[in-house]
Amino acid sequence: MAPVVVADDVGEKYGDTVALDGVSLAVESGEVFALIGPNGAGKTTLTRCLTGTRTPDSGRVELLGEPPSKAAKERLGLLPQDFDPPDRLTARELVAYYAGLYDDARDPGDLLRTVGMDPDKSTWYGDMSGGEQRRTCVAASLANDPDVLFVDEPTTGIDPAGRRALWDVFEALADGGTTVFLTTHYMAEAERLADRVGLLADGELVATGSPEALVAAYGGEQYVVVETLADPAALDGLGYDVTREGDALHVLGVEPADIGDVAAALDERGIDFDALSWTEPDLEDVYLRLADDPTLVEADEEEVVA
Amino acid sequence: MGRVSRLSRVATEARAAYKSFVRRRVAVFFTFFFPILLIVIFAGLVRTGGGGTGLFSQPPGYYVPAYLAVVVLFTPLSRVGSEVARFREGNRFEKLAASPMTRGEWLVAQTLVNAALIALACIVLLVLLSATGADFRFSPWLVLFVPTGSVLFCGIGAILGALADSQDGAITASNGIALPLLFLSNTFLSPASLPAWFRPVTDLSPLSYFAYGVRAATYPGNHAGWPGSAAADYAVLLVLTVVAFVLGAYLIPWTER
Repeated sequence: MAPVVVADDVGEKYGDTVALDGVSLAVESGEVFALIGPNGAGKTTLTRCLTGTRTPDSGRVELLGEPPSKAAKERLGLLPQDFDPPDRLTARELVAYYAGLYDDARDPGDLLRTVGMDPDKSTWYGDMSGGEQRRTCVAASLANDPDVLFVDEPTTGIDPAGRRALWDVFEALADGGTTVFLTTHYMAEAERLADRVGLLADGELVATGSPEALVAAYGGEQYVVVETLADPAALDGLGYDVTREGDALHVLGVEPADIGDVAAALDERGIDFDALSWTEPDLEDVYLRLADDPTLVEADEEEVVA
Repeated sequence: MGRVSRLSRVATEARAAYKSFVRRRVAVFFTFFFPILLIVIFAGLVRTGGGGTGLFSQPPGYYVPAYLAVVVLFTPLSRVGSEVARFREGNRFEKLAASPMTRGEWLVAQTLVNAALIALACIVLLVLLSATGADFRFSPWLVLFVPTGSVLFCGIGAILGALADSQDGAITASNGIALPLLFLSNTFLSPASLPAWFRPVTDLSPLSYFAYGVRAATYPGNHAGWPGSAAADYAVLLVLTVVAFVLGAYLIPWTER
């Protein structure tokens, strides 16, 4: 099956600033693709190039098999970053407004119930809480029951419970075959929702792959965190590399079964510590490592296969 | 893309724009208070018709196009200009560009709402003016000139909104353009009060054709400008309106580039 979203060597500049530098990716039908990266990395610019809001300086973009300007808009859903819709409409009026732009739209009341909103509430958008506003916007982006949905930081400003409720919505969409292109700063969001994650840094797509594969390749080692002021040299000879991170020592490469050995060593050597915990790397570690030093990825290893 | 779909989208956008407007009480109040204020000050307090060539030297009926021009000029220019800026700042155009709606449909919808509000405000203005005893005719030409003038300045408002970098910028630009246009378009000042060398310049203002035409229709015998009849003035106004509207729709920042 042909990919529904394609970027091929896409380049874009704002004046002298390089926003995108040779970005290539392909998103398959029904896939959830999460784009992560630091502020200013080019995530929104890439999303705009893919949806046709912006024409890149170079490279090729395809959406649903066509250049974005010619793609079937009836099949496309979008929640832009920092979206600020008309603020004197109720949630139902707002969703009905966007639904009214399509010949074949979903019922606004059903959509609002899907995102956990009361469709009969008479509060204007401008008077809603940040979480309610965001949920209403997500509902509006689903008005046409899109085949491809672009959501740019959809859960920013939402409390954890509301965020999880929206994750359920996106998961249900993905289960129903909707292709979701998600831009996010929340690693837990990408880790939970995405089939594949792409890390964008300084306009370059540094790495793509499943969350598990990226963590395995670039997440670093699992480690024990020892909250102590002791010198790392106090653990010399233990058989592990030890680094200081703030008020803690990180004992690197410790398997869960060997945590007891570390605790015993601390006891034997009389090292005072407040707490001891074991941590395995996650997508956040990948993000922090690669965003800080993209050269950790070899040129021929950009795509990490799960 | 069927005609029904287009009409449906325009109706949807117009409905949202109308609700957004009527729920801003201050905006509603001043849209209709403005013409009332105009009549109270200029037709009630200031005595017009004193003779000569200066401000308010003509009989009250002479100023009908001027009063109407204030509403037809200011309301769409600032409202559409700031609405374009507001839609861009809130990434609403980005959202609409991903839907079947076109920039032309959006501007048509906004223009319909503005034209309806302006028509209503103009009716209020004319009724009040009539109550002051001003001598003018309710001409059928008004039914063409007022909506067409509204569309013209909606188009120019869209151009300003597209060129300005913010809502504040759009409002400042619209005021900066509206004020000289209002006084140098044969509205409150008769051509005779301007230097002879400057008079041709006033014919460059689109508002002049609104003023000439409305005056020819409502205050016969006092047509001072080119081309010389309400019909001819309307034809010029119509051409300018089409150009401004098409250019305004084209420049709407639907996409970034």
